Amino acid sequence: MTTPVLDIQQLSVAYGAVQALQAVSLTVSAGEIVTLLGANGAGKSTTLRAISRIIAIQSGSLRYDGRDLSSLRPDAVVKAGIAHVPEGRRVLTRLSVEDNLRLGAYVRSDKAGIADDLERTFTQFKRLAERRKQLAGTLSGGEQQMLAIARALMSRPRLLLLDEPSLGLAPIIVREIFAIIRDLNAAGTTILLVEQNAQLALKTATRGYVLEAGSITLSGSTAELAADDRVQKAYLG
Amino acid sequence: MNLALFFQQVVNGLAIGSVYAIFALGYTLIFSILGIINFAHSAIFTLGAYFTYALMGARFGFNGLLAQTALPFGLPFPLAVLGGGLLAGGMGVLVERAAFRPLRNRGADPLLMLVSSLGVAVALVNIIQYLVGAEAYSYPNALAGLPPSINLGVGGVPLIMRTVLVVIFIISMLILFALMRLMNHTKAGKALQAVAEDPVTASLLGINTDRLILLTFFISGFLGGIAGTLVGLSVTITGPYFGITFGLRGLAVLVLGGLGSIPGAVVGGLAIGIVEALVPPDLSGYKDAVAFAILLIVLFFRPQGLLGRTFIQKV
Ligand SMILES: Nc1ncnc2c1ncn2[C@@H]1O[C@H](COP(=O)(O)OP(=O)(O)O)[C@@H](O)[C@H]1O
Ligand SMILES: [Mg+2]
Repeated sequence: MTTPVLDIQQLSVAYGAVQALQAVSLTVSAGEIVTLLGANGAGKSTTLRAISRIIAIQSGSLRYDGRDLSSLRPDAVVKAGIAHVPEGRRVLTRLSVEDNLRLGAYVRSDKAGIADDLERTFTQFKRLAERRKQLAGTLSGGEQQMLAIARALMSRPRLLLLDEPSLGLAPIIVREIFAIIRDLNAAGTTILLVEQNAQLALKTATRGYVLEAGSITLSGSTAELAADDRVQKAYLG
Repeated sequence: MNLALFFQQVVNGLAIGSVYAIFALGYTLIFSILGIINFAHSAIFTLGAYFTYALMGARFGFNGLLAQTALPFGLPFPLAVLGGGLLAGGMGVLVERAAFRPLRNRGADPLLMLVSSLGVAVALVNIIQYLVGAEAYSYPNALAGLPPSINLGVGGVPLIMRTVLVVIFIISMLILFALMRLMNHTKAGKALQAVAEDPVTASLLGINTDRLILLTFFISGFLGGIAGTLVGLSVTITGPYFGITFGLRGLAVLVLGGLGSIPGAVVGGLAIGIVEALVPPDLSGYKDAVAFAILLIVLFFRPQGLLGRTFIQKV
């Protein structure tokens, strides 16, 4: 097996007295889509927040590309090549669509490259192109999710963390977004996908982990997971 | 009041109001990013005025550690204002490092930061008094070469303005213009807006929030220092407590315009400046009350201020 790009070992995180993660270990290899499944409150978002370094970690190690992430600031994580699309989209509502995208490229300084990527984004996401100068807060939920993903891509990440990209969106939009996710992966982006919609996640990913109350209880290929009784009962029933 | 006098007072009010605006913007910027009022801002206003005085090569008075001393060089007023603003910006940075960041890193209650900034304000005022005493200072020959007043009237209608007010207005407007450019047309300005709206999301985009907070304190201090110098130019630097009453008025502008709203601070500053200027001379003793009277009336009808947003609970 190749050495993983993302290697998390024995990660524990607490919010005050709430133990959100307890000795979580997971790996993601280059080119994979790995999904993290689990019920509400299992600790999926917390795992992504720990990788992005926007919350403190109690113990454990986080390595990306052989580098220790645990000592980095959040902005250094982005510079290292990891982009995080947070839960609930979190576009900057008072800035225009274009400004949101430009801020996605904040860590880059190659002006020409940024301009190219911006135009490419607008060709790929037609609806964002039509709303280029509009405030992001005026977009629909689906458009905001597209913007949040497109904005993350503006940093040219090698690893993309997606937190519940389907949340609260109409099925047709969800299909569109998952098609984009598969395209991105086909183009070489490694993806760690958090989803509550287990069926969709298992169809999209190559491997998966199941998180329950802050601990990994199952892991394997998506085919194995889909066939597992416990997964069937708890997440696909 | 005849019409000519009325116009003259409105224009005077605009000039002073423009200083209120840049001063209040110093509060506004920090409020929009950290959600707190930096009480040290009024002390930085005072410091800026003294910095400019020193940079002009002027001598300090008879009291304090620096009595009878002066810099070995003297800058012309326009350069000294700029230098005073930059030094005041540096003070803003020190205040952030000393009084805000340590508390923020410990996740302290915003109320603690407010108290901490109040402590800094008191300390700075005392240090000023220790260094240069409580005397009043005025800028020596700041506007040498300019006539004391300028006629801005058109046709046969005169509109006589004190030159100093014209200078103040021009400098304030230049600063406002530069600030607007910075906020709306630069990468740093957009990043500041991002941090103001959602610091966590800003971090996820690779923005170093601590560095931008530092930049905000620098700009805020710069605005405060320039405002202090301009007020010192129009009246005198009245002593170490120079900034305190002015600071209260700045807070009135902040709340009147809408907490954290940049256009609000500008509109609020100009509005208070004009209304104060229109207070009849025989009531001028009540001038200080005017800003607060306007504030109370506006807040009664618009609790979020003139251009403020209604606060949306962040989840
Ligand atoms: N900011 C927070 N403060 C306190 N507890 C939190 C916070 N965020 C999450 N938690 C708790 O941590 C646990 C894991 O949350 P989270 O990672 O958001 O779960 P998931 O994304 O799987 O739904 C839950 O018990 C949740 O209540
Ligand atoms: Mg979650």
